[in-house]
Amino acid sequence: MFYNIAVVGFGLAGRLAALGLSKQHQVTVFEADDEHTKNSAGKVAAAMLAPLAESVLCEADLALMGLDSMKRWPGIIAELESDVFFQQQGTLVIAHQQDKGDLQSFAQRIKPLAGYTAEHVNTQQITMLEPELAGRFNQGLFLPCEGQIDNQAFYKASFTQLNKRKVKFVFNQRVTISDNKINNRPFDYIIDCRGLGAKNTQGDKPLRGVRGEVARLYAPEVSLTRPVRLMHPRYPIYIAPKPNSEYVIGATEIESQDSGAATVRSTLELLSAAYTVHSGFAEARLLNIQTGLRPAFSDNRPEVSQVGNVISINGLYRHGYMLAPALVAQAVSQIQ
Amino acid sequence: MQTKDCLTIYGEQIKSRLLIGSALYPSPDIMTQSIVASGAEIVTVSLRRQQSAAAGDDFWQLIKNTGLKILPNTAGCHSVKEAITLAKMCREVFATDWIKLELIGDDYNLQPDPFALLEATKILIDDGFKVLPYCTDDLVLCQRLNELGCEVLMPWGAPIGTGKGLLNSYNLKTIRERLPDTTLIVDAGLGLPSHACQALEMGYDAVLLNSAIAGAGCPITMSRAFKAAVEAGRFAYKAKAMPEKDVAAPSTPTMGMPFWHQEK
Repeated sequence: MFYNIAVVGFGLAGRLAALGLSKQHQVTVFEADDEHTKNSAGKVAAAMLAPLAESVLCEADLALMGLDSMKRWPGIIAELESDVFFQQQGTLVIAHQQDKGDLQSFAQRIKPLAGYTAEHVNTQQITMLEPELAGRFNQGLFLPCEGQIDNQAFYKASFTQLNKRKVKFVFNQRVTISDNKINNRPFDYIIDCRGLGAKNTQGDKPLRGVRGEVARLYAPEVSLTRPVRLMHPRYPIYIAPKPNSEYVIGATEIESQDSGAATVRSTLELLSAAYTVHSGFAEARLLNIQTGLRPAFSDNRPEVSQVGNVISINGLYRHGYMLAPALVAQAVSQIQ
Repeated sequence: MQTKDCLTIYGEQIKSRLLIGSALYPSPDIMTQSIVASGAEIVTVSLRRQQSAAAGDDFWQLIKNTGLKILPNTAGCHSVKEAITLAKMCREVFATDWIKLELIGDDYNLQPDPFALLEATKILIDDGFKVLPYCTDDLVLCQRLNELGCEVLMPWGAPIGTGKGLLNSYNLKTIRERLPDTTLIVDAGLGLPSHACQALEMGYDAVLLNSAIAGAGCPITMSRAFKAAVEAGRFAYKAKAMPEKDVAAPSTPTMGMPFWHQEK
């Protein structure tokens, strides 16, 4: 069957939905912002694919969905016909000597997933994994199977590819979805990927925003090869190395709807913690510090739901890149 | 009117002797279920870092929906000025004059600053607040806070989030003995229900905790465990424990016991 489908919201889920559907169907994308979608949580994110580490916070079924999504990413990227950095070389988790209790409790809470589990690493193993951290940390964890993606490149490449596929775009338009129509225009299917834009339209499941602040640095003096997580009682951070000596340091998590500029406190926390991992960050260039609001339901679990011909994907919380491919595949299968 | 064995907080009678925090849960749903399971009637809430009153409203609404009394706190404040500004904001947002006054002196172990605490307490009490200061287990500090008009004191069991329990039970007992008419709540540092039970056994009126429940593998079940422990501790305190002895005293006289029991 050939359908006329609307995708509402051009964030991570909207892009994946449009990519999944535009090979077979006519797709029109509606986005309240312009084509740069600067407020999209998926654009601000560090785009970590970390099902083992996140299993500490989320239920095992979601972490397993993360493993499923991980398998889908290479195929999605191949479809983009563009050079989007994707890596699956595991994550290194470390802690300073005085915070080893936090590392231990993190290790205890990791749920083994389909044969993958956290491996304890000592000074030598840390040195082998990340030579630049030699001698700085004497204990850590290695989380195999984890990875990351360059989300900025993904955002760019997905837009290019969707244009090639003659997807129609309607930017700068906040739409209303009612009676299976968008602003009174009928579609065979509507995929609602608005994230927080759908707030107050989700019936009795309230959506909320969870503020996150993320710093992007240019640090030519630092060569980390894989994501590094620092366990700390108050400033747990991750450092995700991106191409061209760029590093994403994230992220705060604050129960707040405020999407305003990052605060000094958050900035100090993120950057000080990064500096304690590698002193080469001292001379790094601070490219930007962005704020995003993660859309979350009160159980912090994502949801794919269908009412009439409107399929909604929402509540990805802090697990956008980790879960979106599997969730979008589920939504797309409801059409096919 | 004085009801049966209640906790008194600035004249209000509270049945539950467990006060619970609202941070660090895996999700807001688990938070609300844990709060309900704890039987607590008072929930502490932090306004810090929300940027504005409206920004945190979605989250606070979940807490307000529990219908429980809210005890706002000044967590994360380092100076008297910050704490006072935040206390005033809390009074507006939550329509309460209760404030859990928390003033951090050391950033690493989050130890309260006793000097700034006294200063801020005086200012807030003069402004009509009912201050519940989070303090160290120092007798003289507790006496000074009491003299300033604090009817409730909340000395720590151990540094926040450490889960170490009552590190200095001698100090805590001394405060209890010397301030017999003040409501005393052990706040922070508890990890196990037995820690809460010990606090209540020693005559503390209540405990306040967050991480011990929120950070447990199953917060809702741990919440029930703490509820039971607090009740057990209070019963034990009221029942007055037997005196400790150094020499064993058999609970069943051995004389006349059948020989086949003695073989066991």
